[in-house]
Amino acid sequence: MTDTHSGANQKGEKHLPSQHSARNHLITFALSIVLTAIAFAAVALEQVDIKSVVPFIFLLALIQAGFQLFVWMHLDQKGHQFQRIFIGGGAFVALLAVIAFSYWIWW
Amino acid sequence: MSANHALHTELPAEPEKATLEGRNKILGFWLFLGGECVLFGSLFATFIALRDKANGGPTGVELFSLPLVALATILLLTSSLTSVMSILAMHKKNVSQMVVWLVITALLGLGFLGLEIYEFTEYVHEGHSLTSSAFGSAFYTLVGFHGAHVAFGLLWLFALLATTGKKGLTVVTAPKYFVFSLYWHFVDLVWVFIFTVVYLMGKVGI
Repeated sequence: MTDTHSGANQKGEKHLPSQHSARNHLITFALSIVLTAIAFAAVALEQVDIKSVVPFIFLLALIQAGFQLFVWMHLDQKGHQFQRIFIGGGAFVALLAVIAFSYWIWW
Repeated sequence: MSANHALHTELPAEPEKATLEGRNKILGFWLFLGGECVLFGSLFATFIALRDKANGGPTGVELFSLPLVALATILLLTSSLTSVMSILAMHKKNVSQMVVWLVITALLGLGFLGLEIYEFTEYVHEGHSLTSSAFGSAFYTLVGFHGAHVAFGLLWLFALLATTGKKGLTVVTAPKYFVFSLYWHFVDLVWVFIFTVVYLMGKVGI
């Protein structure tokens, strides 16, 4: 992630072309495909222990979600503080709901 | 400076952020996406709580076909790539290339939606419906809501494509394409969690 100087707003900023390069996006796409393939293989081939397979595929999903947000939706760029707060707040409430319901059911 | 930019005939480097209106649209859209997170979070929480309440009907282990889900995942993930490619083309001010990428995005989205409709009709034939069990209700609400997002995104994309020829690429139209690509990435992001939580965890069966 790049630095988050609050003074550097969209107004005066100049993005480097490399931030938008097609190569970066293709690498991200390839990594996403690999992560997806690993997740499917872990379940289909039953190679991972049944107790740890769920946290494992969930971790892979989180990494892939990070790719989407920070590379493809440009959250890593300057002047995205509010965007990060908005999506982070939403994700926090979503996580809270999932944890609360899981706790309610399993304990 | 934004007013001056809008008057220039030459497009700035990032036309979607050239005006205050464009920047506000993007900022506001992220607030909407935060709200969407809450919406899908609630549906995921409900699904996780009710996923093993099959009421004697077919369970996830019996229903789900991983090759079908894998194909749907590849289609949607690729469409996320093509929509980011359309934004790259937009930044190069190459309107025809942008349109080509958007059309590919639309075709991949249609393919995904077709697979989902096929999948749902198969499940209903096997006795897994919205009213058959708590698992069914939670499944169709969560996955169906995501499918509805894809369907809405496609209508949005068709509307954008229909006006591209007439309006072209300006500082007014550029934020519309950019915001659509944000939406499309978000829909793919939600799908990542759906294939993990609904299908893969359903297939593991715990």
